[in-house]
Amino acid sequence: MTDDKDVLRDVWFGRIPTCFTLYQDEITEREAEPYYLLLPRISYLTLVTDKVKKHFQKVMRQEEVSEIWFEYEGTPLKWHYPIGLLFDLHASNTALPWSITVHFKNFPEKDLLHCHSKDVIEAHFMACIKEADALKHKSQVINEMQKKDHKQLWMGLQNDKFEQFWAINRKLMEYPPEDNGFRYIPFRIYQATTERPFIQKLFRPIASGGQLHTLGDLLKDVCPSAVTPEGDLRFFMHCTRCNVFPQNLSLRQRTSEESQKGRRN
Amino acid sequence: MLEGTSGDHPVQPQPRQGHLEQMTQGRVQIPSSMAGEEDFFLEEKRFKQHCEEFVKHSQQIGDGWEWRTNKDLGDGYLSKTHFQVRNRHIAQDLREKTSDNIEETLLAHVEESLDDSQVAGVCTTEEVIRYEYHVLYSSSYQVPVLYFRACFLDGRPLTLEEIWGSVHACYQDRLQEGPWDTITQQEHPILGQPFFVLHPCRTNEFISTVLTGPWKHNRHKNYIILWLSTVGPVVGLSVPLSYAKVAPEQNSSTDSAERALN
Repeated sequence: MTDDKDVLRDVWFGRIPTCFTLYQDEITEREAEPYYLLLPRISYLTLVTDKVKKHFQKVMRQEEVSEIWFEYEGTPLKWHYPIGLLFDLHASNTALPWSITVHFKNFPEKDLLHCHSKDVIEAHFMACIKEADALKHKSQVINEMQKKDHKQLWMGLQNDKFEQFWAINRKLMEYPPEDNGFRYIPFRIYQATTERPFIQKLFRPIASGGQLHTLGDLLKDVCPSAVTPEGDLRFFMHCTRCNVFPQNLSLRQRTSEESQKGRRN
Repeated sequence: MLEGTSGDHPVQPQPRQGHLEQMTQGRVQIPSSMAGEEDFFLEEKRFKQHCEEFVKHSQQIGDGWEWRTNKDLGDGYLSKTHFQVRNRHIAQDLREKTSDNIEETLLAHVEESLDDSQVAGVCTTEEVIRYEYHVLYSSSYQVPVLYFRACFLDGRPLTLEEIWGSVHACYQDRLQEGPWDTITQQEHPILGQPFFVLHPCRTNEFISTVLTGPWKHNRHKNYIILWLSTVGPVVGLSVPLSYAKVAPEQNSSTDSAERALN
């Protein structure tokens, strides 16, 4: 799997050109110009928008500024979802650049988690990694790592350092040769149309007969409405954050992208 | 898995304070080999069965728990809402964590707070807080997880700091140290809204303390009751002692569990 370094690099370095505009009702001392930024698909909004915040705060009074939050066409954007996932869920059918509105007031308490510091993002990120490893390795690999290894995963993400990240993550993507794969595949299926945020279930990479499960098997099992009786995908799905993959490829190959950083999509 | 039969052992409700002391003093370290032999993971089917028993007893004593099913996937969760009155000193900053302040922010009876305010000459308001507790199942960790949120009557939600401040004084130290006590804000996996969560990744560790050695007789008891009576009080949720009387249904089939929950 880690031979697929090109694919891993493509996923890591995926970017979405974005235009940030200040919400019109925010009170400014002079006009706020929009701010353009290439967002990393694999990162989190609140981790990569310090410059956006600084840019708009320059034209605002201190007392008008509280916790920043982002919105697309009226929908508050969940900062704890990877950026690429947010784009695919809400804006994949629209022309680039992606237009995001920036708010500094009226934080939507019922919709968004608070994000008062980078520590909150780190805690969330590590919780995802740990949960994925609970599924893959009964938490054995992540628990055997030292604190500095955990820190290296986070620093790799925060500083956009592919090699630094994967030096540790490759251990989370391995399994003993006598096993044929992970214990369970970490995955989440997000749909923009449901109240339920995602589907997540236990799913083994190997069928009882010993053959490898495919993405099609997974979808038929946990999201049957997505698949026609003939086995074709019913609608356009982003199975990773950037591509649709043919569903007859084995799930093990897919997890090299889907479990990037040990997370689910 | 459930073993033994009910009725063999007299039910011994453990006084919660003593139980917690036994757990924290000595800090029982389960050797990893032993932990490996006995996995106290809760399968989803058993989770549903124990929730069903739990709800049944709750209905008998009017404790307010109900089961909610998600129509898309058929899974569900336990839910309970209740209101608590808290007295609050107007000029006080809740973020100060001196022991005096923690005493003051404990949930108190209205009568007591009125007396205190008259004696101390400080202006207090009683505030009603709406607490909502959900028990969900984590398939990743194979344990139950406690989600909760709290808001004032005007809809303003409590902040994480206010939640921390309202944790009972005797749990504050554990809260600072113990990873299994960590409370953070997370997205509710079924409703998609922000809730506070007690982290589940250490649940199996402390549950195994409750189910081995001198407490082996607990294994035939209701997992939800054992677990919730331990974690609930940390976040202001009490589990009346009468739950200790709940005897597991020996022949509960999945069918009856599903009927009862629908």
